Amino acid sequence: MAQMWITMGPQHPMTHGLWTLRVKVDGETVVDTEAELGYIHRGVEKICESRDFTQVTPYCDRLCYVSAMTWANSYIYAAEDLLEADVPERAEYIRLISAELQRLASHLMWLGAFGPDIGNLTLMTWCMRDREMFLDLLQELGGSRMHYNYPRIGGVKRDMPIGFADRVIAKTKLFEKRLDEYEMMLDESTIWLVRLQGVGYANAEEMVNAGVSGPNVRAAGVNYDVRWAHPYSVYDEIDWEPSVEKPTSVKGADCYDRYRVRMEEMRQSCSMILDALNKIPGGMNTNYASGDEMIYTKAPTRAPEGATGFSNYECTRGASQFYIQGGGDGRGKNPYRLSIRSPMFITIPFVAKTMIGYKIADIPAIMGSFDPCIGETDR
Amino acid sequence: MDDIYDLRSIFLGEDSPVRDLVISSLEGTPLEESAGSIAFAAGTFAVVNIVFLMLFFSQFAILWIERKAVARMNDRRGATTALRSLWVGENGVTAGEWWNMLPFGAGVPVGAVNRWLNKKFGNRDENFATVDRVNNRSWMGYSIFPGFFQNVADGMKFLLKEHMVPRRADKLIFEVSPFLIVSSTLLILGIIPLSSGIYATNPDLSILYAIAIFGIAPIGVFFAGWSSNNKYTLIGGIRSAAQLTAYEIPLLLTLLSVAVLSGTFNIIESIHFQHSAGAWNLFLMPLGAALFLVTMIAEVERVPFDMPEAEAELVEGWWTEYGGMRFGMLFMAEYIRTYAACFLFTHFFLAGWHLPFQGTISQIPLLGDAYVLIPGAIVVLLKSWLVFLVVFVWARFSLARIRTDQILEFGWRMLLPLSVLQVVLSTLYRLFLFDPSGMKDTAAGGNAWMIPGLEIPMLLPLLTTLLWLGVFFLLLNDEDKDAAPDRMYHVYTLQPAGTHTPGKD
Repeated sequence: MAQMWITMGPQHPMTHGLWTLRVKVDGETVVDTEAELGYIHRGVEKICESRDFTQVTPYCDRLCYVSAMTWANSYIYAAEDLLEADVPERAEYIRLISAELQRLASHLMWLGAFGPDIGNLTLMTWCMRDREMFLDLLQELGGSRMHYNYPRIGGVKRDMPIGFADRVIAKTKLFEKRLDEYEMMLDESTIWLVRLQGVGYANAEEMVNAGVSGPNVRAAGVNYDVRWAHPYSVYDEIDWEPSVEKPTSVKGADCYDRYRVRMEEMRQSCSMILDALNKIPGGMNTNYASGDEMIYTKAPTRAPEGATGFSNYECTRGASQFYIQGGGDGRGKNPYRLSIRSPMFITIPFVAKTMIGYKIADIPAIMGSFDPCIGETDR
Repeated sequence: MDDIYDLRSIFLGEDSPVRDLVISSLEGTPLEESAGSIAFAAGTFAVVNIVFLMLFFSQFAILWIERKAVARMNDRRGATTALRSLWVGENGVTAGEWWNMLPFGAGVPVGAVNRWLNKKFGNRDENFATVDRVNNRSWMGYSIFPGFFQNVADGMKFLLKEHMVPRRADKLIFEVSPFLIVSSTLLILGIIPLSSGIYATNPDLSILYAIAIFGIAPIGVFFAGWSSNNKYTLIGGIRSAAQLTAYEIPLLLTLLSVAVLSGTFNIIESIHFQHSAGAWNLFLMPLGAALFLVTMIAEVERVPFDMPEAEAELVEGWWTEYGGMRFGMLFMAEYIRTYAACFLFTHFFLAGWHLPFQGTISQIPLLGDAYVLIPGAIVVLLKSWLVFLVVFVWARFSLARIRTDQILEFGWRMLLPLSVLQVVLSTLYRLFLFDPSGMKDTAAGGNAWMIPGLEIPMLLPLLTTLLWLGVFFLLLNDEDKDAAPDRMYHVYTLQPAGTHTPGKD
């Protein structure tokens, strides 16, 4: 049969952002693919060179609009490494809680977008409803719904408001029940299973060689989670285990494995939040004023020349890394060079190649199961 | 039993007042000789118009149930458009004070009334935090049929859109195919009876007609997909043609078993038969009812069988290039087809305008008399809305979309053998269980399926269906599960969710 190229994107329901997937099809079968990225390149790394270290945080929020808190935290750890700032333990706990809340919101956004990819629109409304709970909580911390600018170099902007912990506990426990509801609708539906199982195999070895990280690689049985392998913050003080799926096929993880591992990760985040609230120094129902030494330590604003800072952070989509070179003649307040390693920039071209051999209808299922985010990809 | 509300006899009967009026008014004119024919034509015209108006207006309920009522149940309170937004406007802004644009100051009274209404029943949604947040224009947070007028607003929007034909499209076919789809869809409504006396037309072979006319639209879909000069529409059109064979044959066989059981190819006679024989087809052939619903969902291209318009990968499938009112018409046609499918299920399996438990309740004095006074058209509408809500909407809101190869496998491996099984079973029931002497056309109905010695008439059909279903699924699942560890095209999983903890094994 004659083959043809189909250009999916830059505006296409499958893309979840702004990029182009060119697919060569033979009837309904995909025979070749080509990913084109770079539609929303904003030059964040270059902009940051003319901002001082505090001003960089909001730009990092905007790297990924569904997981702003983790990206901001990721930058903050690199900046703290550069400026050698001390962070109070309570601030670390608050950062952990906020990052895990953000992980829940981000995974809910993924599930909500993944449902329509397979054809289930109800999932979208359900996930948006539940994501709203966590956005409300994050709003209480940062003051806005999407871009919080919450962490500071040396602490956090402000303490948890009074009653915040109670609301977190109530909503997290409610959400754990909602997760069971999701699984009732999805895992017990034969159609959901036949669409995901046996589709989009990605081999663990190939993924590691390509540099794919995060839930996508854990779905293939690779027990690598930055929070677990190289604990930052206080992840080594609370009880948790990375959720790793054991794939049933020698070919690697299919879409169903990737779906499962994210569902398990949401459960894990819930229990982490509850555990962190119990262990937080200073108690969960106290509120320290902004700038109190319990939540904030003043950090130097200038980096010595030649100093470098680095952070390896488990974002919601994989390992995000920041590398900052500070100092320079007369411009010690600004980063001399700031480099961002985005997990999705590596994953998307890899995913494009895993689609080969499957049907056109599997393209959104495979792409959606890898949870693409174009904001962080194009930077 | 005939419905007592007989619209056709009012307009077309031998002693109908309309007929008398037409004939008497033509007396002494040159048309006197053909007065009977003219009266018949006028009566038919009136009946057809009334029936189609009833069908169209009740269609709004279908749209409302799915796109507003159930959607809002999922989303709690969504944004709505109420009639009240004419004077309150959206967010306090009325539609540009449109009355001031009317010539000669004709809009001044409208403006005055509007100002008064605005002052009297103004937007007080800000008092209700949740209502205010989602921009709800209901009255004080309450609205009857919330979002009902949104459909009207959407239709008006479609009407005002420009019509564009894509460059290098096959213009003639591109323009013709919406008409092919919409007109063949409307023709389905012509044979659907609302009760024994309210229908547009009643051909002898109306079941065959319904299926034949249902099968025309997929050709229009294929034409539309091909002529749009777009790769998405092309794939959508070809998918539609490919899945056609997978569900059309089981559908035809299911309807054949209905016809065999009822002994007729006419919808109205089939309904009469169900009542006179004393059992709805739903209980005599539950398997057939399930098959009919599954194949009908595929026929009207709804989730989970909506691959031709799979919006995740094909943008909008075969109708990607249609805009404006052509899109609106195609969209409406899809709902009309769904609605017609609900009607057909009501008529074939739920005995049309006959009430549930009519045999028992109509025996009660007074209450029974009142019970059979409920108009048949209302019963038919309620039943078909219920079928739409419980089957079509529920399936759409809880299931995902399956792949083309999967529906082909499903159609050939499961639906086709099952429908053949249903034909055989119905033939056997008709030959050996049916007792013509039990047929009674009274309000209580007859008892033609009763077997001597068995109290429940439907027991034997139910048991035989279950038995053969068990045998079928036993044969279907008789395969080596470990032979295919890649689980391609197979529904089981070696480690189902919940049986193990990821990361611990």
